Amino acid sequence: MTREPRAVTLRAVRKCFGDVTAVADVTLEIHAGELMVLVGPSGCGKSTLLRLIAGLEEPDGGEVWIGDHPVADVEPRDRDVAMVFQSYALYPHMTVARNLGFGLSVRGAGRTEIEARVGEVAASLRLGELLGRRPGQLSGGQQQRVALGRAMVRDPGVFLFDEPLSNLDAALRLQTRDEIAALHRRLGTTMIFVTHDQVEALSLGQRVAVMDRGRVQQVGTPHEVYRRPANLFVAGFVGSPPINRLALTRDRRGRLAGGPFTFPGPSTHREATLGVRPEDLTAAPGSSAAPPGPVGAPPEFTAAVLRVESLGSEQRVHLDGPGEAGWVARAGPTLRVAAGMKVSVRVAWERTHLFAPDGRRLGRAPRPGGAPPS
Amino acid sequence: MSGEGAVRRLPILAVLAVAAVAAGAALILVLAAGSVRAAREHSSGAEARMAASLYEAPGVTEADVAEFLAGRGRILPATAGGPGPGAFGYRSGALEPAAWIAVQPAGGGSGWPWAASALGLFAAFAMSAWAAARRRSPPPARFPVAAALLSATLLALVAVAAGRWEQDELEAISRAHLDQGLSAAGMAHAAGAGPEEAARVAGLPWADDAALDEPDRLWTMPREVGAAIAAARPLPSAGRHRVAAGGAVYHGGSLQLRDRPASLHLVLLGYEETASAAVVLTAAAAGSALVVSLVLLLLPLASRPRALSRTLAAWGFLAPAGALLLLFTFGPLLYSLWISLHDWHLLDPAHPFTGLENYRSVLGDGAWWAAIRNTAVFTLHVPFAMAVALSLALLTRQSRRAIRWARLALFLPSITSVVAIAVVWKWLLNDGYGLANRALAAVGIAPVAWLSSPDTALVSLMVISVWMVVGYQMVVFQAGLAAIPRDWYDAARVDGASRWQRFRHITLPGLRHTLFFVLVTSVIGSFQVFGLVYVMTEGGPLGATDVAVYHIYREAWEFLRFGDAAAMSWVLFGVVFAATWLHFRLLERRGSHA
Repeated sequence: MTREPRAVTLRAVRKCFGDVTAVADVTLEIHAGELMVLVGPSGCGKSTLLRLIAGLEEPDGGEVWIGDHPVADVEPRDRDVAMVFQSYALYPHMTVARNLGFGLSVRGAGRTEIEARVGEVAASLRLGELLGRRPGQLSGGQQQRVALGRAMVRDPGVFLFDEPLSNLDAALRLQTRDEIAALHRRLGTTMIFVTHDQVEALSLGQRVAVMDRGRVQQVGTPHEVYRRPANLFVAGFVGSPPINRLALTRDRRGRLAGGPFTFPGPSTHREATLGVRPEDLTAAPGSSAAPPGPVGAPPEFTAAVLRVESLGSEQRVHLDGPGEAGWVARAGPTLRVAAGMKVSVRVAWERTHLFAPDGRRLGRAPRPGGAPPS
Repeated sequence: MSGEGAVRRLPILAVLAVAAVAAGAALILVLAAGSVRAAREHSSGAEARMAASLYEAPGVTEADVAEFLAGRGRILPATAGGPGPGAFGYRSGALEPAAWIAVQPAGGGSGWPWAASALGLFAAFAMSAWAAARRRSPPPARFPVAAALLSATLLALVAVAAGRWEQDELEAISRAHLDQGLSAAGMAHAAGAGPEEAARVAGLPWADDAALDEPDRLWTMPREVGAAIAAARPLPSAGRHRVAAGGAVYHGGSLQLRDRPASLHLVLLGYEETASAAVVLTAAAAGSALVVSLVLLLLPLASRPRALSRTLAAWGFLAPAGALLLLFTFGPLLYSLWISLHDWHLLDPAHPFTGLENYRSVLGDGAWWAAIRNTAVFTLHVPFAMAVALSLALLTRQSRRAIRWARLALFLPSITSVVAIAVVWKWLLNDGYGLANRALAAVGIAPVAWLSSPDTALVSLMVISVWMVVGYQMVVFQAGLAAIPRDWYDAARVDGASRWQRFRHITLPGLRHTLFFVLVTSVIGSFQVFGLVYVMTEGGPLGATDVAVYHIYREAWEFLRFGDAAAMSWVLFGVVFAATWLHFRLLERRGSHA
């Protein structure tokens, strides 16, 4: 019964609504059987991209391929795709069973076939008890499962998910996320999942496409996207709390400098931005005590603690330095710091990022030279 | 603490209750006094008319008229301009010199003792309520019931007293009216007028002995009254007599004719002695008692000042709309129900109570059922209109400039006067020079008798009606369409539904409530169609477009049979109610999910 998963290929796809460019020249290849997550802030064009794949919108330029065929003139019904909507879009006047079977019945499937298929899907999603109910009588989670089932019934080559978890409460969202991942393992179908939640994206996606202002900023595995962000936007969007930044400028001797740091070597850039993830900072109480690190290495800077967020398994220490905008350091649950204290902070330079003024990642920042503050 | 507050607030409630009783009593007295005054004014007007007729009768002199008026009224020269305030005038223009006859209504009778005693009772009630309120403890639980009973009794007493007084006054006025009629007819007869002419001077229904002997000649007065007079003969030759017929009282009088054995019998088509006045007053009393009870129901709230003030505020906010509703909706409604139970002819001041007789005759009236059938056929335009309106709504979903204009054009008939529309269509569909037939002639088709043939007239009206209502329905449908989430359509498209399947499975179910609303309101509106028929066809040709409301209108205002018309209205109400109930049963229930 299970069909071959389909690859989806976008070539320079463009879509405008009036003066607004929703999708600008997106080229993206989604392999057959892959779970690809499109993530970005609201208005970045990710949902439009999904609707373009589904055929609910016509591209203004470029090509969409599903499997081996361009689908420019193919109706949504013939694209071998199924879609799960953020609102679930269940038909309120139909029972769960009819909702599940609608796609088959409008395609002229026989009653016995529909019943068998609906029963199968309902069993796999634990919907058997609910088949006679209407969507209005279901909880949010149940509606979500019905929406999922409606997509599964037709056994499509590509699943499209348009923020299907955003209407669920936090616990249910985690659970459903796992279920979707399990579903993907079981069916092996191509899935394209749109979300604005970067945690969801990283946890779910085999690959993640980060989008902003209608463009794909980076495509890669979650690890790549997090560890080697292609630009400042990706670095800032992915990760929570967001990456710490420090504006650097070239000094008279051609070195990039900012805050307490002066980096060796002449730079070709007049300005740059230093990016350090909170977990790559190590804080220790007291301005003199050296935080754990390479033996004998002095701390890079000291700062005052503005606030400590205690999340149980970790603490987030808000600092008043090194630059104008304070940084946040991630610390283990045992660190004893409180607001007002001075801490000394060490930076794991090998995991830092340096970004050009246009946002492009230049590489990691070198260990700064110059005299550390005593 | 709260007990203290309750005691302090009791006077407010007592005052409210007393005020309600006072208002009820005042309403009853005003109603009674109003009908007496109306009878007096009517009688004065009639006297002025009698005097004018007398003035115009041959052989009658100005002195005779002055004698007839006997100080109750005056003859004014035509240049006087009018009878003056408070007087009833009748301008006699047929003879020279033209003149005004002015008659002042007679003064009030001796009704006020009743009012005084009612006021005394009321004062006693007020005192006891006040005393109850002054007692420094919360009222016992039975107090509201007792007070309600007391006020209801009080109001009933006032109603009975006012009814008796009204009855006496009306009878006195009627007797005086008849006396004047007899006197006028006598004077005219003495001056040489024949019996018929003399009777006309009096302006009263009349019959002579010969007519009473032969019921077929009894066309000058209601037959049953004539029969009652005939049965009561021999009558006192010069005196007056009372005749009761058909539940009403008639004052009759006979006039001995010169050189003839026969008498001329005049009757004043009297007032109803039976239920009417008493029922009206009792209803007023009951209504007032209801208000009093409502006020008294608030008493238990006296210990909870915030609840009390909130409740009072709520009633206060409801009061203006409620009063309007009572006065202009439920009032006329109940009044028409009242009328439908009487033989209510506009020209006949007597409205004898006939129970369900009107309904019986209406239900057996073929013309009425033909009108109902026409209405039902006319209503068949509703599904057509809805189909057209839905198609237009679907076609004009986008908001392009041309489409906005089209929408406006389609909606225009809904905001145009029905009369204007009807007049224009009447021209368009004119047999001879109408644009429709001209257009047909241009392509060589024989003219169609759009409105002048019984076969086509109703269909023509239906087509016009479709054109009229489509714009409004379209706008409602558009609102309904806009409320259907786009996601449903997207989901259905991905699911594989074709355009028709999306319409069938998404649009129609999504519009279910809208369709139901439009259907019910349009069917009701179609049952009430009047303007088109009134202006364009006047029910014709051959009754082909005689719809229910037009039929009722003719019954009331052409044939002046208000009782029948009111009964028809209620039958129509029953039909519409039944149709709407069926709609709810068949459509709304089935659609709602269990």
